Amino acid sequence: MTTRTRLLITALAAVLLAVFAVGYTALSTSKQPDAITSSTVSGPRLMVLGNGRLSTVPRSDPSGPREVTEQRCDRAYTAAGTTSCLRPVGAFKAGELAVLDSGLREVRTVPLTGFPNRTRVSPSGRMVAWTLFVDGHSYAANGFSTSTGILDTKADTLVTSLEEFTATVDGEVVTAVDRNFWGVTFTADDNRFYATMSTGTHRYLMEGDFADRTLRSIADNVECPSLSPDGKRIAYKAAVNRDPQQGWRLSTMDLGTRVITPLAETRSVDDQPTWLDQDTIGYGMQRSDGLNDVWAVPADGTGTPAVLVPEANSPAPIG
Amino acid sequence: MSRRRAPLAVLAIGVVTAATLTVIASSGQVPAATAATTTFTASADTYVDNSATGTNYGTSGQLGVDNSPIKRMFLKFTVSGVSGTVSGVKLRVHTDDVSGAASPAGGSFRAMTDTTWSETGVTWNNQPAIDGVTLGTLGSVVRNTWYEVDVTSHVKANGTFSFGVTSSNSDGSDYDSRETGATAPQLVVTTGTTPTTTTTPPSGDPVLVGAGDISNSGSGDSATAALLDNIPGTVFTTGDNVYNDGTAAEFANYYNPTWGRHKARTRPSPGNHDYHTSGATGYYDYFGSLAGPSGQGYYSYDLGNWHIVSLNSNISMAAGSAQEQWLRADLAASGKPCTAAYWHHPLFTSGANHAPSTSTRPLFQALYDNNADVVLFGHNHHYERFAPQNPSGGLDTTRGIRTFVAGMGGASHYSFGTIRANSEVRNSDTYGVLKLTLHSNSFDWQFVPEAGKTFTDSGTTACH
Repeated sequence: MTTRTRLLITALAAVLLAVFAVGYTALSTSKQPDAITSSTVSGPRLMVLGNGRLSTVPRSDPSGPREVTEQRCDRAYTAAGTTSCLRPVGAFKAGELAVLDSGLREVRTVPLTGFPNRTRVSPSGRMVAWTLFVDGHSYAANGFSTSTGILDTKADTLVTSLEEFTATVDGEVVTAVDRNFWGVTFTADDNRFYATMSTGTHRYLMEGDFADRTLRSIADNVECPSLSPDGKRIAYKAAVNRDPQQGWRLSTMDLGTRVITPLAETRSVDDQPTWLDQDTIGYGMQRSDGLNDVWAVPADGTGTPAVLVPEANSPAPIG
Repeated sequence: MSRRRAPLAVLAIGVVTAATLTVIASSGQVPAATAATTTFTASADTYVDNSATGTNYGTSGQLGVDNSPIKRMFLKFTVSGVSGTVSGVKLRVHTDDVSGAASPAGGSFRAMTDTTWSETGVTWNNQPAIDGVTLGTLGSVVRNTWYEVDVTSHVKANGTFSFGVTSSNSDGSDYDSRETGATAPQLVVTTGTTPTTTTTPPSGDPVLVGAGDISNSGSGDSATAALLDNIPGTVFTTGDNVYNDGTAAEFANYYNPTWGRHKARTRPSPGNHDYHTSGATGYYDYFGSLAGPSGQGYYSYDLGNWHIVSLNSNISMAAGSAQEQWLRADLAASGKPCTAAYWHHPLFTSGANHAPSTSTRPLFQALYDNNADVVLFGHNHHYERFAPQNPSGGLDTTRGIRTFVAGMGGASHYSFGTIRANSEVRNSDTYGVLKLTLHSNSFDWQFVPEAGKTFTDSGTTACH
C-alpha cells in the first residue's frame, strides 16, 4: 500500500465518520435544550461537596453542569431541608458545625475542635451528628482519637461527646479510656441511632438511644454504618481481615438476619457510605492528586462500581 | 449549541482524530524531529456564563467563549520535565464539531496570575481574575478545526500556567474541553534541546535534596534512600526522621541502614515523632553537630548564593521567642540573595490528617519580612506544592514564598482533605525526594519518584 493510498483511505474513513457524526449530532442536539437554559438544577438531585463547596447536581445527569453555592464545608449531609456542614478550620478560626435550612441559611452553629470527618442528618432533618478527628490523628496514624456528638435541633439538646452515654458490650458496661465513637446514622424515629465504638482491637456496631443516653453493641467489625431508607440494612466499611491497616471492604448487613454482603467495590473505601436509593450505595474515593469522585455500586453485591459525580464527595440524595 | 451527551463526545473524538491526522499527513507538516517538542494537555478547563451565575461546567465536553451571554473560558496546564531553553510555546484549541461552534471571533487569550482555581468549582460568581496581558486573539473560527496562539511570553519554564479567554463578539465560539480526549486543549512546548528526565543537574549549582517522614520498619525509606544514592548535594530532612518514637534504636535500625548512608551530607530538622523521646535525644545524639547546637534544633548554613535555615517546630515559635529572635537576627546577617528554610509542621497544607500549624506563622513572617524564597515542610505524609503566598495564605507573586509539603520520605501515605487555596500540585501514592537546584538567582524544583513510579513535578521560581 502506498502512502498516498493510505492517506486516501484515512481521508475517506474520516469523511464517512464525519457524515455519520454530523447527522447524529444534528439529530440529537435538536432534541436537547441548550446548556444555558437547562443550567438550573431541578428535580431529584444530589447534594455534594465540590472541593469543599456545597453543590447540587441532577440525578438525571450527575456528571453534567452543577450548581455551586458559596457555602464551604469539609464534610456535609442533607435530609429533609436540613444541611449539616462541618466548616473547615480557617487560618485564624477553629472549626464548627453549621446547621443550614433549606435555603442554606445558617440557623445554628456549634463550635468544634478537630478535623471534620463524618456528619449525618436524621431522615426528618431534626437530628444532626458529627465526627471529628482530635489532635489531627486519623485511622492512618498510630493511635488516634475521635470526637462524636449529636444535636437535637428541635429540643436544642447538645451532646458534645457520645462518651457521656453509658455503653455496654454484650451487656457489660465499658468505661475504657480508649473508647472512640464515629460514624453516626439515625433511624426514622429521631431517637435511635447506630454508630461505631472502638475499644482495644474491636470496632463495634452500637445501637444508641438518645433519650436514654445509652449504647449497646450488636455486632463487631462495623465502621461508619449508614442505615437504608427502609431501616432494615446498614451499609458500612468492614476492616479487611478485621485489620484496618489492610483497608476496608464496603459491605451491607441485614440487621434482622445479620447476613453480610460484601459489595462489588474491591478497592479500600474509607468513607461513611450513603444510600442514594434503596438499591444503590454512594461513596467517595480519592485520587492520588487529592481530588475525590463520588462512586456508586449496587447494594446487593452485584454489578460494577462506577463514577457517579466526578470531582465531588459527601453525597446526599435530596428532592 | 451544546453537546453534552457522552455518546456524541465519543463519536466526535474518532472523527476529529482521523481528520486531523489526515490533514497533517497530506500537507506534509509532520515535524522532521519531534524530540524537542513536548505536548501537554490541559490539567483543568472550564467556562463560566453570566446567564447561569452559580453553575459550574467543569465536567462538560465543551468550552464556550461569548459576549452575549458573556462566557469566559479558563485553561490550566502543568508543564513538567522540560529541560533546556524554551524556544516557543503554542496553545492549541480545537473548535467543537457543531455548527454553532463557528464564530467571526475566536476570542482573546490572556495570561492569568491565579493558577489554583478548581475545574469543578469555578462559576461566574467566583471566577478567578483574568489579569494578565493579551497573548493572542483569534479571528474567525470554523467548526472542527485546531487553532493556535503563541504563548511563549507567558510559559518560559516548567510550572503551572493559567489562561483566560474572553470575547467581545455576541456570536460566540465553542471549543472542545479536555473531557473529549483527543481534541483537548494542548500546550506544545518546543525547547532548544531534547527533553530529558535525567536527575543530574545540567549546571554545577548546589543541590538541596530530601524529604520528611522517613524511616520505619517498612521499605519506603529504602526506596527513597536509593534515590539519594544517585543525587549529589546536601540532604535535608523535614522531620519525623524515624518512627514511631525517635529512639536511638530506631535511628540505628531504620534510619542508619537507609538514609544514614548519606548522613555526612545531611542537615536534618526534627519532627514530633523525634520528640516522642524526651528532648529528642535520639535525634540529637544520632546527628550530632549536623543538627546544629544539641537540643536547640535550629541552625543555618550557606550553599552557593543561598542561605539555608533549618528550624524546630516542636518548641516555641512565638514572636519574641528565642527561636524567632534568632531567626530574625540570622536572616538580617545573611547577605545572600536567596533564602530557603525547612521545618516539620506545615503552615500550608491540604492534608486530611494534620491541619495547618498556625503556631509556625511567626517563623514564616520573619522569613517573609526578610524576602525568603522557599520553605519546605513535612508532617502530612504526601507531596504538595503551593504557589508563592504571604503569611496569611494569600497569593503573592511579588514577595510570596513558595512552599512544599515534602512528607513523602517513606513512612506511609496520608490522604488529602479539602484542597486549600493556592495548592498547585499534589500526590499521595508515590514516595520520593524533592530536589532543589539552587541557581544564583532562582531555583529549580523536581519531585524525583521512587523506582517504578511515574509521578513527577518540576518548575522554576526566581529569587526575590
